[in-house]
Amino acid sequence: MYMLEIENLTKKFGKFTALNNVNLQVEEGEVFGYVGPNGAGKTTTIRVLLGILQATSGTANVFGKDAWKDAVEIHKRIAYVPGDVNLWANLTGGEVIDLFVSLRQKSDKAKRERLIEKFELDPTKKCRTYSKGNRQKVALIAAFASDADLYILDEPTSGLDPLMGEFFVEEVLNLKNSGKSVLLSSHILSEVERLCDRVGVIMKGNVIKTGTLDELKQSAACADGKLPDSMEELFMRYYKVSEGV
Amino acid sequence: MRGNFDYTGKLVKFMLRRERIIAAIWIIVLVLFSVALAPGLETMFPDNETRENIILIYDNPIMVSMMGPIFDIDGEFTTGTIYAGMMLLWVMIAVAIMNIFIVIRHTRADEERWRAEVIRSLPVGRLSTVHAAMLTALIINTVLAVLTGLGLAATGTESMGFGGSMLYGAVLGASGLVFAAITAIFCQLSASSSGAFGLSFLALGGSYMLRAAGDVGNEVISLISPFGLAQRSMVYAENELMPLWGLLAIAFAFAALAYKFNSMRDLGQGFIPARMGRREAKKSLLSSFGLSFRLLKNSIIVWTITLFMLGASYGSIIGEIDRFVGDSPEYLTLVGLTPELLDTLSDSDKADMIVDGFGGFVTIMMTLIALVPLLMFALKPKNEEIDGRAEGILSRSVSRQKYLAGYVIIAFAMSIIVQLCTVVGLYGAAESTVREGEIGEVAAILNPFVFEKLLAANFAYLPAMWLIIGLAVFIVGLLPKAGGVVWGYYGFICFMALIGNIPDLLPAWLSNLSPFNFIPEIRVTNFDLFPAAESSAVPLIVLTGIAAALTVIGFIGYRKRDLITH
Ligand SMILES: Nc1ncnc2c1ncn2[C@@H]1O[C@H](COP(=O)(O)OP(=O)(O)OP(=O)(O)O)[C@@H](O)[C@H]1O
Ligand SMILES: [Mg+2]
Repeated sequence: MYMLEIENLTKKFGKFTALNNVNLQVEEGEVFGYVGPNGAGKTTTIRVLLGILQATSGTANVFGKDAWKDAVEIHKRIAYVPGDVNLWANLTGGEVIDLFVSLRQKSDKAKRERLIEKFELDPTKKCRTYSKGNRQKVALIAAFASDADLYILDEPTSGLDPLMGEFFVEEVLNLKNSGKSVLLSSHILSEVERLCDRVGVIMKGNVIKTGTLDELKQSAACADGKLPDSMEELFMRYYKVSEGV
Repeated sequence: MRGNFDYTGKLVKFMLRRERIIAAIWIIVLVLFSVALAPGLETMFPDNETRENIILIYDNPIMVSMMGPIFDIDGEFTTGTIYAGMMLLWVMIAVAIMNIFIVIRHTRADEERWRAEVIRSLPVGRLSTVHAAMLTALIINTVLAVLTGLGLAATGTESMGFGGSMLYGAVLGASGLVFAAITAIFCQLSASSSGAFGLSFLALGGSYMLRAAGDVGNEVISLISPFGLAQRSMVYAENELMPLWGLLAIAFAFAALAYKFNSMRDLGQGFIPARMGRREAKKSLLSSFGLSFRLLKNSIIVWTITLFMLGASYGSIIGEIDRFVGDSPEYLTLVGLTPELLDTLSDSDKADMIVDGFGGFVTIMMTLIALVPLLMFALKPKNEEIDGRAEGILSRSVSRQKYLAGYVIIAFAMSIIVQLCTVVGLYGAAESTVREGEIGEVAAILNPFVFEKLLAANFAYLPAMWLIIGLAVFIVGLLPKAGGVVWGYYGFICFMALIGNIPDLLPAWLSNLSPFNFIPEIRVTNFDLFPAAESSAVPLIVLTGIAAALTVIGFIGYRKRDLITH
């Protein structure tokens, strides 16, 4: 059974097609990278998986259950970090972490404290005073402090400094070692390279390729056999490919 | 080495540019408001007798603590003295708020966003920013003071001469400057703009309370408060100048203190460290309901107190109500009586009847005011959604219904609380201020309200309030971007409630669009000469049914739609 499975998923906003016949599977124990340029449809896919948006057509299943109808049941076993973390100005980071964790399960205090220390967050500060990176840390700590089966992370490191990015990679590797599954949307190739078993590339609402990173690089290799060595280059080549089609 | 104040002139220009629209709106609204009410007051109280009557209403501790004293000229009250007594305090509060915003916007808030850093890397003196902010406030307050003074003088009201009007404007501006300077100090002390806001508003509230305490007790205490001091200029009566100089001196001294603190601290830092919050959440926060309650808690407390106080202040004027309004035709139409009717009654029935009409009027007014927090609460989940915070909860194992219910339940529960506050405030104040034989010339009537009846009259409005809450839930569920519709409908209901009493003015179908139109009038006193119009519970049940239907449809819609994203 797949941890999550998307079949022929289409999502339209009015006339605009944000997702077009998307197919995707994430297996148990796998870290799946989801990459693509801005506005490609990564966040939209994730929101459909979380039952925040409803599919226009096609199916999105998580743990074999319907992402829309069984959202509450599914969310008991999911931890999610949104790309844009919006918090309550008047609550402290510590309060939000506790709230987020407890809306799913009992909180594990030791884990929470370890993560707060590791990510150097001051949990006594009100959220209004947090920088973007600090708000992201709140969401990350809440996610890593939860004991979930599937972790859905949407550009989780976009506001973090490199050291914190490193800690993030460590934590995801921890999850991987304990057999958890992860869906990671990211713009950072090194992150994807180190963490992901398989990668899906989405462009303009179409998933144009899935496979291991090596396979992707191979398929995007130039005539001279040179492999793309950055995310931008990979994108550029796929752009050309998708243009050609 | 550069001077402490280099570049101030350019900064002032820059700040005024940023302020020009907001400041212009503040000034226009305040001046128009101040000027427009003067002629109205003159027509409302054309002679000594009517003025005496309003003074009677004001002459009790509750009103004095709310409004401050009204000064006389050798025992005589004029439109001018009544105007100053009724208006100055409120306008000063508005001007204080304006100044708090101005100063924080250009000092602490800029610093928070590190815009100030960019500026200070220019050849700008250490104290230039705070100095420029004070000068900006000075300029804006001066414009406001002069325009208000000239405007009032230009109304040509006999008792509001040129000198007095200019003094009125001047103390207004000077009290504003005091708050600008106080805010400047707090901007140095606190490390965040919200902290500075909190402290400044605390100072504002404290000034109001000090004045209240002093006005009903020892007058010296009032002088400590900028508001109390300003009122002691006795505008349009004695026209004292000393309080004006006092205010300016205080503003100057506070500004100097703010400069001193500013030079003692680093950019981005404060003397008072940002207040630490809880490291861990209380148990009560840890559910979606706990969260919505926490987010609304302060509003609930503030509105509860406000409505109670408002109810109490209405109740406190019951003792003199008939002297004030007894024969005023406007009032009689307002409460649905005619002078002919009045003539046929005995004195005690008369008092009961007038209080009864007044009670009905107050019930409608208070219900309208109480709807504001209810709508804010019911629409809150929509704002949470649009600001992207609902997603954080709904992506966890919280169902849409449960999340929405967290706010809707509070809104419905609050509807009962607010009506109860009004009743208790109104009844309690009437009970404690009406002494024997004080209703007009009528003997031996104590508090004319009957508690059960007053309660019933107020609770009768609940189905109408629920209908409006239901509409809000419906909008949240189905058309979250159309929240304005709810406020528009609320405005319509207010309009109908105030205009609707005028017979034959509006077609019946229009009146019937307001749920208030179906609420039976319930007597709030023992008055029973004329039975109240035949009332049945059917309209109330129908309104409740519609409210329930709207709420249920809203919940279903909320479950079925996409959340607003982006
Ligand atoms: N609620 C909405 N209404 C209309 N259009 C939307 C909505 N949400 C997303 N879109 C559009 O759908 C497309 C996909 O957006 P999405 O947020 O999924 O991109 P993304 O891959 O996450 O991009 P990024 O890397 O910038 O986060 C974009 O063109 C976006 O403008
Ligand atoms: Mg995105």
